[in-house]
Amino acid sequence: MTLFTKLNKWVEVRFGISEVVEKEMTGYLLPRTINSWYSLGSVLLFAFVLQIFSGILLLIYYVPDADKAFKSVSVIMNEIPFGWLIRLCHAVGSNLMVATLFLHMFSVLFMGSYKKPRELQWVSGFTLLNLVMGISLTGYLLPWSQLSFWATTVATNSVGAVPVIGEFLVEFIRGGKLVGPPTLGRFFAIHVAVLPLVIAGLIGAHLFFLKRTGISTPPSRSAAAKTTWLGETYRYEKHEGGIPFFPNFFLHDMTSVSIYFACLLGVVFFSPYLFFTPDSFVPANPFQTPAHIKPEWYFLANYQTLKIFPSEIIGLTVQGAAMTFIALLPFVDRGDKRYPLNRPLFMVCAIGGIALFIALSIWGHLS
Amino acid sequence: MKSARIARTVRIITVLLFCLAVSVVTGYSAQENVCVKCHGSLPGKYGEPVTLWKTSVHAENGIYCNECHGGDPQDMANAMKPDRGFKGVPKETVIPETCGRCHVGVLKDYLESAHGKRLGSGGPTCISCHGNHAIRKASLDLINEKTCTRCHPYERARLMKLAMQETEGQITALDARIQTLKIHGKASEVMEQGLFSARNRFHTLFHDVLVEKVRNESAAIRKDLDVIGAQIDSIDHAEQKRKMAGAAAVGGVLIAAFLFWLLSKSYDK
Repeated sequence: MTLFTKLNKWVEVRFGISEVVEKEMTGYLLPRTINSWYSLGSVLLFAFVLQIFSGILLLIYYVPDADKAFKSVSVIMNEIPFGWLIRLCHAVGSNLMVATLFLHMFSVLFMGSYKKPRELQWVSGFTLLNLVMGISLTGYLLPWSQLSFWATTVATNSVGAVPVIGEFLVEFIRGGKLVGPPTLGRFFAIHVAVLPLVIAGLIGAHLFFLKRTGISTPPSRSAAAKTTWLGETYRYEKHEGGIPFFPNFFLHDMTSVSIYFACLLGVVFFSPYLFFTPDSFVPANPFQTPAHIKPEWYFLANYQTLKIFPSEIIGLTVQGAAMTFIALLPFVDRGDKRYPLNRPLFMVCAIGGIALFIALSIWGHLS
Repeated sequence: MKSARIARTVRIITVLLFCLAVSVVTGYSAQENVCVKCHGSLPGKYGEPVTLWKTSVHAENGIYCNECHGGDPQDMANAMKPDRGFKGVPKETVIPETCGRCHVGVLKDYLESAHGKRLGSGGPTCISCHGNHAIRKASLDLINEKTCTRCHPYERARLMKLAMQETEGQITALDARIQTLKIHGKASEVMEQGLFSARNRFHTLFHDVLVEKVRNESAAIRKDLDVIGAQIDSIDHAEQKRKMAGAAAVGGVLIAAFLFWLLSKSYDK
């Protein structure tokens, strides 16, 4: 008996690992018609792990002090061996993660996978999108550059439009009247401790909901693709005769993860400054406002919405209403049909909404 | 009771209006320079200095009329009163001293040069070459036949300009490369300081008129510039190596993706 066999037996008799593997991997059946869009969840899990890993490495040298933060990032980029690689992977990775989240959300939208009984998967996923945008925003300030300082000033200013408590909220978020060292301390704590834990917990909940309902079958024109669950008793959506998660779909996942990683490395090595402007490499100066400060690309639509309305409160209300509508979509769109071409009204609204988001983002970039 | 409340309200409104008026006035005067505002609207010789100044290196850097002419740039009524420090047009002999209040090192170089030694006896002052209102930044363009032959033959100046041209080109090119490094977050402080020091040494030659000295100094400065150039080259070289490593990494991951896909297809069958 080899050492490996002995070790395997030792673990097996104690934990029954082969049963877990059978249930969760080789015996976990997925629909035969499953497509690559379904692997975006695994890509996002990989992206999150990469962010955590690179973030921990950055923590070793980053100093969350307004007087030292910029210098410490500069040291990471220029002096620490492979510091540039870790920092760029973290910064580029956050942008690609948001982009992949959008793709994941759009695929769920068009395939109607948010419909009953998967409402909570949609709500938890949409909350995750917002939390990831929140963790990106708080991370944006940490390098303490001109860009991060003034972008945070603009972003936190907009909270001031909230009636009655607006000013209090701005001061509470910033830890003072203006963005300053207390803001850095708060954003750092939220970025490295609070949000990663909340996101990890919510990912756990998202996967729990997925495991309990079973994975949805990709929609097709046939009547069988309709949601048949009546909502009276709990039902796990089985896929008899489907493909096993391991190795079949696991290899699909690995293909998608590898393509994502290749894109990430491509940007890191060949266009490392894609998400940076020259102001990203100038230390924060509260007395000098740069000419054209813009938020990150995924906040450009929000930024432009605030600008096109005569008052910020109207802009905030419109955004709040839109976000609430998207969050509660499964409770609004309760039809049985899931195939996109069988839902013309939905398709018009969804494509119109995405086109509006893109148009506002481009407008925000050019304005 | 009611009339007391009205009186109090009137008092508060009066105070608020007064504060508003004060803030408007002070805000206005802080933004506007009365010399530029008033002379800028005048025709002919009174307005021309403002037109010329707007094209100058001083305007680019926010140096206003009062820095040389004195006076109070925030009080239109008393702007040109001597008790507010107004000096008018500086006399020829005090021009170097006026400029030297900011350009301390240059004043020293000038006074030690053949030009400075003839100050007050027909020699040139700062404005002879740099202009008075349309003030031009120190550069080799200032050494030209038209300007120099106003006082002496051009030959010696031409030789000096030739000796310095290569150095100036090297400084300009290195400056552009350092700026590129800077906007990409590369550690460029040491190189910047080196270039700043070399540029200052180079500018001291501008007021010298000894051809051989200028040649030798210029060559020595170029050697220092070569060191900075080599530092930038090594950063560029490291970037190239990173790109090669990146190509290998991206290629490796894409091959892995292809193999995973092939393997998944074999299982699908």
